[in-house]
Amino acid sequence: MEEKSSVAKVLAIVPGLAVMIGTLFLLRTYVEPWMKDAVVFGQKGWLVQVLSLNYILLSIIAGIIYRNVFFGGKIPDWAEAGFRTTRLFIKSGVIMLGCLYTLQKLAKVGSIAILLISTFVFGTVFFVIWYGKRIGMERSMIGVMGASCGVCGVSAAVATAPGVNAKPSEVALAIATILGFGIMTMFISPFIGKALSMSDYQFGAWVGTGILNSGQVLATCLAFNPTFAPGTAVAYGEIWNVVRVISIPFVVFIITTWACKAEAAESCSTGSQMSLGKVFKDRFPIFVIGFFGMTALSSLGWLGAEGSNTLHLMREVMSWIFGIGLVGQGAYIDFRELRRAGGKPLRVGLVAGTLKYVVALIVIMLFVSKDASF
Amino acid sequence: MSDKAKGKMTVFKTDRHEDAAAMVFVSLVVIVVLTYMAYVVPTVTIKPSQDGKLVSIAVQTDQEVKKGDLLYTFEYKDKKFVNGQLEEKLAIKEVKASTNGKVLSVGVKEGDVLKKGKNAILVMDHEKGTLP
Repeated sequence: MEEKSSVAKVLAIVPGLAVMIGTLFLLRTYVEPWMKDAVVFGQKGWLVQVLSLNYILLSIIAGIIYRNVFFGGKIPDWAEAGFRTTRLFIKSGVIMLGCLYTLQKLAKVGSIAILLISTFVFGTVFFVIWYGKRIGMERSMIGVMGASCGVCGVSAAVATAPGVNAKPSEVALAIATILGFGIMTMFISPFIGKALSMSDYQFGAWVGTGILNSGQVLATCLAFNPTFAPGTAVAYGEIWNVVRVISIPFVVFIITTWACKAEAAESCSTGSQMSLGKVFKDRFPIFVIGFFGMTALSSLGWLGAEGSNTLHLMREVMSWIFGIGLVGQGAYIDFRELRRAGGKPLRVGLVAGTLKYVVALIVIMLFVSKDASF
Repeated sequence: MSDKAKGKMTVFKTDRHEDAAAMVFVSLVVIVVLTYMAYVVPTVTIKPSQDGKLVSIAVQTDQEVKKGDLLYTFEYKDKKFVNGQLEEKLAIKEVKASTNGKVLSVGVKEGDVLKKGKNAILVMDHEKGTLP
């Protein structure tokens, strides 16, 4: 197959990216303001206040509609390269979220976040390994599902796949299952949070622990409290999310070690050179360094004072970057893929995801105070 | 598009390249925003960061202000969880100038009810090279 030039590769991104940006523009400029004023069931703004719909959730829904309705289940060739910039935007948004914190604030909640996340991430990984073996799922599928359910639906599955010799179709199934589960939790979590009178701190901690994807954590927190500011659900949820993302290399190491031990030594392609140091070097998600870099700039006051117009503009740009990424992320949720996933992977994903989500809620309600740490 | 590229979730060679690209992209965004705010934006409009009521305004049109000077005070409902209970009490917030500048216009008067992000309280010019 002929390789494209760099210019052609960049140009190939334009149509899909234009669809993502255009969609977000329409949602933010026309659809969201209309929803705020629309009278449904005799109540003005019912769609926003009761259904917690905002442009972030709408972005994901629009992406799902593109993929499953307009595109007939597959992103067309003309748009595919553009939609593949999705994770670039999500990662950029996560980096920019660093401007919501100072290093002192991170230190305050960091230890609780590390304790909770470590318990839930590794607990879920071991549960998936145990349950997957019990119902006779293939080892490679158990590996990617363990990473998906334990850490993060997309990044961890992709990072674990080579170590467990997973097929691309297995990675796709794991991602589809987890993103599908995330969609359900995105809509029900704000209702549960409000019904239980959770504080922003508790809600952020729960969602950051129980939901498995950076974009979906953000969308759910904004559905609960639509403000991008220190001390809001999104600020707490993303600390938990970043701690979870940092655990990716450790999870890759554990799952790969498990897979290699389980296989015959000669058929394990990575076993001979594998070490935690090497996995860390190869798999550490370096974009989180950018997140801490933004926090350092914020701590030094180089991004403007809290409440300043400069910081306000920075957060506005950040919300656009996230929104673009989330239109793209919606387009990676394919209902046909989910149906195909059926059977064992779907069962493992749903059981592990639900267990983590519910146990995290119980632990947060019992042991995490409503009072915010900052 | 090559068959190899199909099915990938990134336009980059590896995840590591994508991570690096995200950091470069954000660096550019930050530089553009800071440069725009420090040198390009002609005036800034100060709006309330939350709902409340204007208690007093400490500046007037054409007045020069220095960083840290009081601009206005407003009253708002402070909601906070204390010992697991949501407590709501009225609080006063003093808003100070984040940079040296000049007040171009005052859009509200004492006692006005302020809506978050809606009312233009002050329009200000700021010293070039500083972040308003």
